[in-house]
Order: sequence, then C-alpha cells, then structure tokens
Amino acid sequence: MPAEFIGVRHHSPACARLVAARIAELRPAYVLVEGPVDMNDRLDELLLGHELPIAVFSYLRAEGGTRMSWSPFCDHSPEWVALTAGRAAGAEVRFIDLPAWHSAFAERDNRYSDGALRYSEVTARLCREFAVDNSDTLWDHMVEVHADLDPVALAERLNTYFDVLRGETTISTADDDRETYMAAWVRAAVAAAGDRPVLVITGGLHRPALIPLAATGGTAWPEVPTPPAGSEGDSYLVPYSNRRLDAFQGYQSGLPSPGYYERLWADGPARAAEGLLESVATRLRDRNQRVSTADLIAARTQAGGLAALRGHPHPARTDVLDALVSALVSDGLEQRLPWTSDGTIAPGAHPVVVQMVAALTGDRVGRLHDATPAPPLLSAVDGELAALALDRAGRVTLDLTGERDLRRSRVLHRLRVLGIPGVRRTSGPTGGADPTSAEVWELTETDLRLPALIEAAAYGATLPDAAAVLIRRRVTDPDTGVAELAAALYDTALCGVDALSSDLGERIADRVATASDLGAVGAALGTVLGLWRHDRLLGSAGSPVLAEVIDAAATRVLWLAEGTHGGTGPADVPRLHALAALRDALRHAEPVVGVRLVDVLGVAQRIATRADVPPDLAGAGLGLSWALGAPGEVHVPTAPNRMGDWLAGLFALAREEVLADESVLATLDGHVADLGDDDFLVALPALRQAFAFFPPAERETIAHGLLARRGLRRSARALLRTTVDPVLAAEAAALESRVEDLLVREGLLPGSSPQTPEGTHD
Amino acid sequence: MSDNNSTDSDGPGIDAADLQRPPAEVRHADELNRLRATDTGARPPGWWLSMDAARRFIVGDEAGGISRKFVGDPSLIDRSLVTLATSRGLMLVGEPGTAKSLLSELIAAAVSGVSTLTVQGGAATTEDQIKYSWNYALLVSEGPSPRSLVPAPMLRGMAEGRVVRFEEITRCPLEVQDSMLSLLSERVLAVPELTGRDGMVFARDGFNVIATANTRDRGVNEMSAALKRRFNFETVFPISDFKTELALVEQEAGALLRRSGVEAPQRRDVLEVLVHAFRDLRGGSGRDGERLSTVMSTAEAVSVAHAVGLRGWFLRREPGAPADIVACLAGTAAKDDAEDLARLRRYLEQQAPRRSGSAWSELHGARYLLPG
Repeated sequence: MPAEFIGVRHHSPACARLVAARIAELRPAYVLVEGPVDMNDRLDELLLGHELPIAVFSYLRAEGGTRMSWSPFCDHSPEWVALTAGRAAGAEVRFIDLPAWHSAFAERDNRYSDGALRYSEVTARLCREFAVDNSDTLWDHMVEVHADLDPVALAERLNTYFDVLRGETTISTADDDRETYMAAWVRAAVAAAGDRPVLVITGGLHRPALIPLAATGGTAWPEVPTPPAGSEGDSYLVPYSNRRLDAFQGYQSGLPSPGYYERLWADGPARAAEGLLESVATRLRDRNQRVSTADLIAARTQAGGLAALRGHPHPARTDVLDALVSALVSDGLEQRLPWTSDGTIAPGAHPVVVQMVAALTGDRVGRLHDATPAPPLLSAVDGELAALALDRAGRVTLDLTGERDLRRSRVLHRLRVLGIPGVRRTSGPTGGADPTSAEVWELTETDLRLPALIEAAAYGATLPDAAAVLIRRRVTDPDTGVAELAAALYDTALCGVDALSSDLGERIADRVATASDLGAVGAALGTVLGLWRHDRLLGSAGSPVLAEVIDAAATRVLWLAEGTHGGTGPADVPRLHALAALRDALRHAEPVVGVRLVDVLGVAQRIATRADVPPDLAGAGLGLSWALGAPGEVHVPTAPNRMGDWLAGLFALAREEVLADESVLATLDGHVADLGDDDFLVALPALRQAFAFFPPAERETIAHGLLARRGLRRSARALLRTTVDPVLAAEAAALESRVEDLLVREGLLPGSSPQTPEGTHD
Repeated sequence: MSDNNSTDSDGPGIDAADLQRPPAEVRHADELNRLRATDTGARPPGWWLSMDAARRFIVGDEAGGISRKFVGDPSLIDRSLVTLATSRGLMLVGEPGTAKSLLSELIAAAVSGVSTLTVQGGAATTEDQIKYSWNYALLVSEGPSPRSLVPAPMLRGMAEGRVVRFEEITRCPLEVQDSMLSLLSERVLAVPELTGRDGMVFARDGFNVIATANTRDRGVNEMSAALKRRFNFETVFPISDFKTELALVEQEAGALLRRSGVEAPQRRDVLEVLVHAFRDLRGGSGRDGERLSTVMSTAEAVSVAHAVGLRGWFLRREPGAPADIVACLAGTAAKDDAEDLARLRRYLEQQAPRRSGSAWSELHGARYLLPG
C-alpha cells in the first residue's frame, strides 16, 4: 500500500488538525515525521509530558567551531501532533530527516523555517491575485481562517498550493540531500508495513518531490548518520518560549504570531479573534494607554466589516489587527505595520503597534519534565555551585586573595563568559593593574538559565572546558577587534582557564601585528601588560603567551605612531594612551619587547621633530623619549591652535619629568602670557585637556610654581578652586571681547571714534 | 462659487476630450459602469458600488479587466473602505507625493460615483467654503431662502449622501478645522438664516469625509484631539518595492510624455537610474542614501522623468539621457535648501561611480551640470 503524504506548514494549526484527523481515520502502521532522525531512540524523552513549547537543540563541536540548530515544537505543530497522536493510535512513529548537525543544515538555525514560502515569485503573484499584503496573510486567508473546512478539502487546497509553489521554486542541494534521505525511510516503512497504511508528514514543499522519490528504490532502513570523525555532536531538549519561536528572522523564520495560533488551535478562529482583541486591550490598559469602550466597539465593528469584505467566516488575524490599528491609532505612523510588511518591528514603532505585536507573540514559556536527561554540563554546574554555596539568589561579596573566594569568583566568571543569565558582577577589578581585590556579584533566579546552560553544553562538558572553548572562539573569530581581544585575554585570567595554548598567542600576535587602529592596539597592550606584570592574584603574571602579545603590540604601536601624519587637530587621547602603554612596556617589560631601546628613541625623536606630525603626537614623541631617559630639546609651540594639543601629548607621556624640570612650565607660562585675548580663547580648551593629565596634587605644585614666578604669596590651592564653571568663564570672556570689539567699532568707548564714517544711526 | 446651483454636472457624462485632467469618475467611467452593472454584492446604505466592487476598482482585478490604480498595501484599501462604512471619517496621512489625493479621489469615485465634492484646505480657507455662503444679489432682493443659498461641498455631500474630500486639512486654521466637529458627530448642518425644514440639513446615508494631511506639515496647524477622534487614521507610505515603483514611474511618465507630444520611448536604463537615485536620496533604501530634506516622492520622480523626456525630445530629438536627470534634479533638489544641492553633488560624485552600467557612468559624468 503506497504511503499517504501530508504536506504541512510548520506550526500551522490547520495542518495540525488535518494530521490528527488523518491519523484517527487511517490508523497507520507508521507515522513518519520530518524531524531529526538521531532522536528516534529518544522519542520517549520527547513524550515525557513537557509543557510546550520545547525544542530539540543540536550541536556539532568540531575543530572549525561549534554549530547549533533548533527544531522547535509547540502544541499546534503538525509534527508534534503526528508524534503524540501517532503514538496514541498505536503507530510506529519515526523521525526521518537528517540530523540537525548534518551539513545539509549548515545554513540553517531553525529546522522548521519557511523561507521559500515567503520569498518566491509565485507567492508574490498569489498575493496580488488575492489582493493581500504578504504570504502570511495569504496563508490565513486560504487556510487558517476556514476552521470548518473538511480534511479532504483542506488537504486538496494545501496540495494545490504547495505544488504550484514547488513548481517554481529552486531547491538547494542541501534540500535535495534531505529529500533523498527522507524518501529512503518512506520506502522502507512502506515495505515493512505490508498492506497497512503509512502516513508521511513533511513540509509542504518537500511533498511533491518525495512522492516520486518514494516510488522507486531500495527498501532497506536507512542508516542514521553519525557525526564526522574528530567532532562531537549531540541533541538535547531545551525549554522554549513563544518569544523565541517568533524571534527568527528572514529566511530562518517560520509561521509568526505563536500566541495567536495557540488560541486558534485551542479555541477556533472566532474565539482566537476575540482573545486577540481582548489581550491587546488589556496590555494597553495595563500600560496606561487610553482604550475606551467606544474604541473597542469601533474595533470590533471594523474587524467584522473587514472579515466580510475579505470573505472570511470569522475575523482572521490581520482583520483584527487592521481593525485595532484603525480604531486605536490616531496619528500618522513612522513605519509600516509589521504584519503588512516583513514582520519586523523597528525601534520607535507606535506603542499600540508594539503591544499588538507582543499580544500576537504571547508569553508562553515551555518547561521540561523533571525526568528529562540533561547534558553533563548541567549537573557539573549545579554540583559546583552547591559546593561553593553559590546556588541561591542574592548578593555575594568575594575577597579574591582568599583561595575559596577566588575559586568562587572563577566559577561565576565562567558562567558570565558563557552568557548564562542570572549572574552579574556589579563591581571588581577592571584590569591586571587594578589594585581592587574585592568583587561583588548579584545572583538572581531566572527561567532563562536552564535553556542557556543546555545550549552552553555545546561548548563542553565541564564549566572550565566550555568557558575555555568559548573564549578561544572569541579570540580566533576574525571579526573580533583588537580591543576585544585584550578583553578576552583578561577573561581567561578571570576564569582561571587555560584557553591560551602557545599557538593561540602567536595568532593573537599576528592579529595585533596587522591591526591599523593605534588606540585599540594601545588598549590591548595596556591590558595585556597589566596582566603580565601584576596579576599574581589571577595567576597570569609572567605568562609567556602574554609576553608574545606584548612584544607584537609594542612593535605595532611604534610602527603605527610613526606612520601617522596630519595637520593640526584635537588631541586624540586613545593614541596618547597607546604611546603611554608603549612607554610602560619598555620600562617594565623590556626583556620581552623585541625592539631595542635605541631604536625606540630614534623613532620617538623623529616623531617629535618631523613637521607633518599632528601636535599631540609630536608632544608625545618628545615625552616618550624624555620618559625613556633621553630628554630632547623642548620647544613649546607658540601657535594657539597647536600649543594645548602638543602639551597634552607631552604630559601624557612625561608628566613626572616635566614636573621635575621647571623650565618647560616656565616657558609655557611665558607663551600663555604673550597670547592675545582671542588667541587665549582659542588655546584654552586644549590647554585644559592637557593639564587634566596631572592629578590634583601635582596641579597644586604647578600652581605654586606659577605664583612663585610672579613673586606672589598666596594659596596655590585657592588658585585651583574656581567658583564658576570654567566653560562658563570662557564663554563670558568671549562675550566680553565681542562686546568690546563692537564698542570700539561703533566708537562708543572713550577715546575711540566710529569706524564706519557714514554712520546712519541717530 | 459661480456655478453654485447649477445642475449636477459632476459624474460620468462630462466630455473628457479636452480636459487636462478629468476627475476619476470620468477617467475610469467605463470600468465604474461595468463594475456597477455586474455588482452583485450588498451595498452599504448610500453607496454607489458594493464594498467588494469598490475594492476591485482600486486594487484592480485582472480577470474582470479592471486596472490596478493604486500601488500599495491592499489592506490599506480594505481598512479605508470599511472605515467609510462606519461613522468615523477617513484621514489619510503621509509624506507629500505618496498618492494620498489620488487615493481619496479613487475611493470617493468608487463609493459615491463622484469625487468632485472637494474642499482644498489652506490658510485662507473659511467656513463659507466648507458649509455654505450666499448669492448676495438674491439675498438682498429676496432675503435668506434656499434659492439664495450657495451650498459648499459639505452641505452638498450631506444633503446628497456622498463622500466629501477635504484636502490638506492641517493647512486650515484650527477654528476652521473645528467647524467640522459637529458635522461629523451630529451629522447635521444648521442654517440658522433659514426657517423650518430648510434650516436643518441632515446627512443622508452615504455621506462621509475623507481628509488628507501631510506629515511634513505637522506643526503648521496641529489637529485638535476632538477632531482626531472623529477620524480613523491611515498612513500612506512611499512604495517599498523598486520594481513596482519603476513600473509606475514608467507608466505615468510615459502617459504624460505622450500627451506632451513626445514620440521617442523612454530609455529603460535611464528610468532605472532615476528611480534608484530617488530611492537613495529619499533615505529609505540602502546605506548609501544621503537623505535630502526635499521630498523625493514617486510623484516627483514622475515629474522629473517627464521633464527628462521633454528635454531629450524637444532639445535633441532623442529620448532623455542621464545628463538630463542631473539638470532636472538640480531643480528638484535645490528647491528649498541649498544644503540639498551639496548632498546631491556628493551623491553624484561618490555613489554614482560605484554602480555598474553605462547610465550610471553617464550620470556621474554629468555631475558638472549641477549649478554652483
């Protein structure tokens, strides 16, 4: 007896109804379902009695990286109904599709997406024909709203639709592979069933291809593929939520609006429309948006009118939505209504529309049965947290100098790195050179923790392994910027994991050596240097891997600094910090830096003296050379637009040297005194920035010197304390000078005469 | 107002031959009559067509030989029609040039068979132009009487049970807008000068109001909350799909050019470049978009395409070239902001050469045609 094929749209209640009806009528020997074949031995696990939505989460961990994919199920998934109703009817139920880790799914995160349905020419043509906005509305119009359609008519309608669609859709080779594999299962089941029926439930687009493929060929049961050698793959159940079901976008997305279809499945289209209306009104009222009874009456009338116009027996999803938007939105909209376009909602959407979309999605969150097997990571984490007394919510304060607290800190950092919700550090050291040794964590309980942990199991079976794999991935990811690389290195120290094999050090060094952003390389150098020098607490001090990175970063900073040209511009603080990090590397880590000191001094002096170098960098060049023991000749620029920036560079690198040597400040004092009012205002902002490199105590010393040079005996501290905001003072000075100019021009100051001879003012 | 009490000269029956732009019910008289003849659906009270036929008139029906007259979401038409069958008015808002007026004209023609009961909003609009005024010669000789009354569109729409269009309602002063309030809620217009039954004009079935407003005019005259409550708002968006917009520009500009006596067909690649440039400069598509402050609507694209064709034909006897686009764009872009001219120049200098195709390189080559 040949198999019967039902082509469905994933998550469609109408299709789920059809599947249930066919199983009840046929009492098939086999029910074959599009789903991961490697779960066949674990079907009991799926049917333990979970609260849906749940998903089969599959991963493949290989040398090149970890790939993950989900096969979500909700109450109204035809596949789920096939599983449960098939089992209840005494049929042998089997998944027949390739495992999610198979290369056929390389481009897919969601097994049950329906990209082709959305983006094909045929769909566009059908939408025009039926005068509907998009494929989802078309689907509602043709299928979902007709709850009273009998199974035969519904099946016929679905088959016609999918046949037309398949006829004009190009199918990828990945889909070819899947269909060939699924057909082999169908043939084997038909042969085994003898004269009893076989029911096959797959995506509607596969059906037209499967029927001929299943007609000819061998009838042996196909083999279940195993992950390729050298990689590790597995599948686990994870709790899912409507929000995640709805969160796939573009080609990955499936049927939208799970909250609405869940009602449709449970109560039928009439009650689903009512429910949607009610849920939007409640949500809006909960958020203090005005929804009057008159508005609701208007919305209901409008929904009825739209349904009648569109030929629906009951208001469909978009009839209700269109009605609500007509009745409740009394402004122009900034963006298209999401259900008339691609379904996404951009920031700034109308609040009513936002709540409508939220009501469509629904709040349902799945829950796994207690007896569901969990990946080893889960019990490892639970055990570790219990042993370290971290298994309850609340605030945890850790002293990193204590061994037990350090262990606790590492566990928490590993969870943080894995992105497990409910673990948040509120304070603690921020870098290797940070003297803080206390850390405060905020632990909270959340439903999101379990799915996140199961999914983190893709990276490893124990917490340190998983964290190390993830950090490695961050470090090797070509998209990670140089600054984030340094943060990842710091994370390895915090997590106490050995994620850095020597080859990785080399690769980071390579990345640093080709980076082009001086500030970012400098930031990386600073972080790594701090870890290498200080971090006995975290155990990274003196690490050879870090030494390699320091060498590469220091060399790169030097190279980039010498290659920077440009005219006058505001001081670029990150690049000044980069040179300061280079200075520190040479001061404290000279043995591991490959460049010789003389060469560094040569570069520094070239930067300081060349004409086409921006002023801040020129100052920094001089400062670098001075800080490394070779003070050059100090020529403080006199141009008001260069002076401050140049000093910022100098002070960033050689603050202490400048303080110890009176002459620079004396020269500067002279220059500033010589500036005209206008020039002073030009120079002022940059000068203020430059002096910000001095801490308050040193600024007081400078103020002392200033007073002493003028032979004044006053409190230096008073000079530093202004009663008004300096910016305000500068603005006032600018205003005064403008007023004075005006007065002079108009001849209103004593002793001046008007500059415009033909004065027409009376 | 001179043709005040003249007989109902609107509607199918006008000789359209020498009109520059006949109203929708004249332009599409054939389709309207066919739809009405074959219309089996239930008509809302006072409607000229059933809702389904009205919808097909606007979104088109290939099988029935009805052309598609409005390019946009079909759901917008559904919502608008259902709104008009209820007691709320329809407010079409959107950027200039998104075919709001065309849509309101089409809907009025489909629902009432007449689209000419129109109030054009503006700073100088007065209540007289909305409700009624007087023929002063008759008023002086006979006193107030139905004969000396000059009805304005609202009064006629109410008395005859037809859809009244109120264009650019936010351009009217607030007090004028507010004079609509009682008409819309009470559905009655009082003429205090007249006595007896003539003094109260009650709205018949079929009366409703379609107003349009530009979002760019927001803040000129904010609409009162009371008035807002009496309307359902529908936002009309620019056309989202490139192909659809291109086809529309090609069709509309082609028709304009034929009317202007241009014989050469337009170059497809030139139109593609034109529509692409408009979409980029509208800032709605692609990351390369330099958003101009001038409205770069489809309507504007049609008029530029028209001008391009005219330049090509009457200056050189050939179809318009990319260089003509630059010359015409300068006028569009520099309309009210000199900064826009600079943006346009940047666009031509930096974005045009990145595109492939000879039309784009011609466009790039013609950038010096920009003034200044």
